[in-house]
Amino acid sequence: METMEPATVSRAKAGDADAFRLLVERHSRAVFKVAYRMTRNEHDADDVVQEVFLRAYRQMERFEERANFGTWLHRIAVNCSLDLLRSRGRHDKHHVQESEEGAVTRGAESGEPRPDRLLLSAELQEHVSAALDRLSGNERTAFVLRHFEGMPVEEIGRTLGIQVNAAKHTIFRAVRKLREALEPFVRSTPCST
Amino acid sequence: MQHLNEEQLVAFHYRDIDAPGAAAQHLAACEQCSGEYETIRRVLTLVAEAPVPERGESYGEEVWTRLRWKLDRGERRRRWQSLLAVAAMLAFAFAAGHFWRAHRDPAPEVAAAVQTAAPTDASRLLLVVVGDHLDTSGRVLLEVANAAPESQLSTSRRAENLVTANRIYRQTAARQGDEHIVQLLADLEPILLELANAGDSLEGKKLADLQKRIESKGLLFKVRVMSAPPPTTDTL
Repeated sequence: METMEPATVSRAKAGDADAFRLLVERHSRAVFKVAYRMTRNEHDADDVVQEVFLRAYRQMERFEERANFGTWLHRIAVNCSLDLLRSRGRHDKHHVQESEEGAVTRGAESGEPRPDRLLLSAELQEHVSAALDRLSGNERTAFVLRHFEGMPVEEIGRTLGIQVNAAKHTIFRAVRKLREALEPFVRSTPCST
Repeated sequence: MQHLNEEQLVAFHYRDIDAPGAAAQHLAACEQCSGEYETIRRVLTLVAEAPVPERGESYGEEVWTRLRWKLDRGERRRRWQSLLAVAAMLAFAFAAGHFWRAHRDPAPEVAAAVQTAAPTDASRLLLVVVGDHLDTSGRVLLEVANAAPESQLSTSRRAENLVTANRIYRQTAARQGDEHIVQLLADLEPILLELANAGDSLEGKKLADLQKRIESKGLLFKVRVMSAPPPTTDTL
């Protein structure tokens, strides 16, 4: 299937709707994954997927065929997700403040997790999800791009409209918050790699 | 070499540190730093396993089904032709002596035109006028979403006009069987209604609640997606 991709992209560029349909069907799930990691909301991620393919279709003529179509879509997905997060900037700040206060309270109430609970992977996944939810929009974007997408820090800076050092520091702030939330769990579990 | 701080350890992990060789040497020799780094590495390994909701094999097909009406270029051209037709129709109505009703919303006339058009033309006509309606509604929502708590909004009158249009478009879309438009307009209607009923008293907690509702539903984003502006000047 992978070897057929350039031909499909060429046909889609020429305006072949069936070819574009194939690309949508092939890449939707991967685009959803990026969108979800950035928005942390299933419905928002679904909306982002729609917007990504709309933008992709409109800009097909600009796509250079020697590039990787999936990578190109990922970049559009990142920008669409970022637009969504920014459109909710004020709500996001409010949410982060609430979350940080909540995190302090929860930490004080719960103390160190019991070892028997740490083995429950579903519960651990919830803690990881909660920790990611507590990141601000910019922190999550920078972190997702570096950690999951492997995007160079210079490009992250360009994407977020900030300097390289600021991008590095944003990634660091995200990691520090994740560490604060999750360190008790990794101290108690054996190293997985 | 001095101990590596937390920021340097994170940068080392992502190969973003300026002198990775020196940092690696220090980590090999320093138990304290290597312990710190191991903790960071474990946290990041754990995060890499964060779950993402599954989307089934048919997800791409579902996405395509929702997209297809917007994507056909020929159809888009015809949409603009339809837009011109609507403009001509409205201009004719204007010239025919409807000056006294100039402030009225065009929704009833447009809905009537949609009803009398052939099915495919009616569908395109609906998309065009709903796109304009969503564009106008989006601007009102944006104004509310960005309003400071102490600001006095003047969106009530515009919202009042939009409520009527919204209802008519929703009913027309329902008759056309366009569920996505129906759903979006159904989400939009209570917000517009509340804005219309608020008069000039929309401030403080009432405003904050409304802003939260707009944001939590992602309404602005959805309205923007569905209003689908012309593509030529878009960037990535």
